[in-house]
Amino acid sequence: MIDTENLTRKFGSLTAVENVTLHVDEGEVFGFLGPNGAGKTTTIRMLCCLIGKTGGQASIGDYTIDKEEDCLKIRKMVGLLPENVGLYDSLSAYRNLDFYGKLYEVPEAKRRENIEHLLRLLGIWERKDDAVGMFSKGTKQKIAIARALIHDPQVLFLDEPTANLDPEASKTVRDFVLDLKKEKRTIFLNTHNLDEAERLCDRIAILKTRLIAVDSPKNLERSLYNRKTIVHLENVTSPIIAAVKGLNAVKNLKTSENMLILDMDNPERDNPELVRAIVMAGGNIQYVTELRSTLEDVYLKLIREASAR
Amino acid sequence: MRLWKSWIVTSKDLSVFKKNKYILYSLVSIPFIVGVVLPLIFIYALGAEATQLTQAQFINAANTLANTGSIYFVLIPVILPSIMGSYSIVGEKIEKSLEPLLATPTTDGELLLGKSLATFIPTMGVTYIGAVIFVTIMDVWSYIKFGFFLLPNLDLAVILGVMAPLACVLSVEANVIISSKVNDIRAAQNLGSIVVLPLLLFLVFAIQITIIPLILLALLVSATLAVADIALFYLSKATFQREEILTKWK
Repeated sequence: MIDTENLTRKFGSLTAVENVTLHVDEGEVFGFLGPNGAGKTTTIRMLCCLIGKTGGQASIGDYTIDKEEDCLKIRKMVGLLPENVGLYDSLSAYRNLDFYGKLYEVPEAKRRENIEHLLRLLGIWERKDDAVGMFSKGTKQKIAIARALIHDPQVLFLDEPTANLDPEASKTVRDFVLDLKKEKRTIFLNTHNLDEAERLCDRIAILKTRLIAVDSPKNLERSLYNRKTIVHLENVTSPIIAAVKGLNAVKNLKTSENMLILDMDNPERDNPELVRAIVMAGGNIQYVTELRSTLEDVYLKLIREASAR
Repeated sequence: MRLWKSWIVTSKDLSVFKKNKYILYSLVSIPFIVGVVLPLIFIYALGAEATQLTQAQFINAANTLANTGSIYFVLIPVILPSIMGSYSIVGEKIEKSLEPLLATPTTDGELLLGKSLATFIPTMGVTYIGAVIFVTIMDVWSYIKFGFFLLPNLDLAVILGVMAPLACVLSVEANVIISSKVNDIRAAQNLGSIVVLPLLLFLVFAIQITIIPLILLALLVSATLAVADIALFYLSKATFQREEILTKWK
């Protein structure tokens, strides 16, 4: 659905986005992670035909971003939730959505139906005639999401959808994105929130001007270290250590107090054998857990490496 | 260019203006001053002079004041756009609503036209309402005094039909350019006033000292305005572009 090839944007001597090549499938929730100034918003703006590119190529569906006639079609098929909600405070929630529905050329009956459906879904139908300026930040964010969806877009760009929201409002927005995911919409999510990315995204790209990594959250987490198994014992004894070292599956063994920390290629396959060996050697096992790097570990490591280059 | 798209933007801006008391007060008070207060001052001044003038001189003085009053109807379309236009564009900047607006399948030209019409239509509307009130008051007075109507005349027709719309377009276009450079509504209004001030001063000065007929002066000023409108049209069009708005506007 979304394809870019060496997509580049420079502002004078400053390169904001450099040679970004990625592919987002239809119905995929694609996370875009990166520090401030990494080029996330610039990428979204280029993909939404808001600003031009200085190099490379990008397309959404069958349309490319550098043709004016295609740009109008792209803008029609995508919904954008920008970083700032940008609603008209003096107008009602209904009037705000109606205005955008008209600009997106949604026929009147369908427009009314969509506005009611979205406002009911977000729990603000009863307040549809209230001026937007009277709403809380979280409610405004909900209305802005409704605005991005008013024309049933095939692709949705969400730029920091939960930034500056309290935990409850953030959860509402995240749950709503999960609902949209069920509807198989293609969602491109810019976020700083790693937990949010992990929970919502099928794949994640880490960007710092250039694309550093693209993979599923699970694979990214596994990419940082070998997978480790931790065994908590009542006591760590020499026979236990000897028994564990004798197993082919164990690549590396460290002990710490009453814990064994083991590098394993395939813990799902090899852990039962490991447990049997420890028990046979007289070990009393308290817990067996997996030590895995978090998305945060991966993100910080990759960003630091990219900064050091 | 799809005019219906522009009209969507215009009607939204008009809805926003309707909720803004400052704009509503401006739309009522400025035409009221020019349409009601000004002719009453003229009538009072003429009444005070009446005993010292012959009938011919009196009619001549009344004609001069009526024409002087007419020129003030160029001031309304110059002043009001700097107030309304600031809310239309700087207001969007403050509410940060330009990005979602620019993300819609609408061209830059359609958005610019929509925003310009939102300022142009109410401005010219209240200008004409003010003019009708002005003409009515002056005519009621002149009919009682002289037995004929002073206005409308050809001068007023040229001023209202040609000069005022051209001045309004100039002010709207100037405001688009100013709005791209500032982030504050008051600053935009102040700058707008400064930019149009030379025009105001020129008009007031010209009407006082001119030795050429008013109609000729109005046509000359209109021709100058038309040229300035064309120049500013290209400048404002170049300023109001997605790329410029999102990357260069302050």
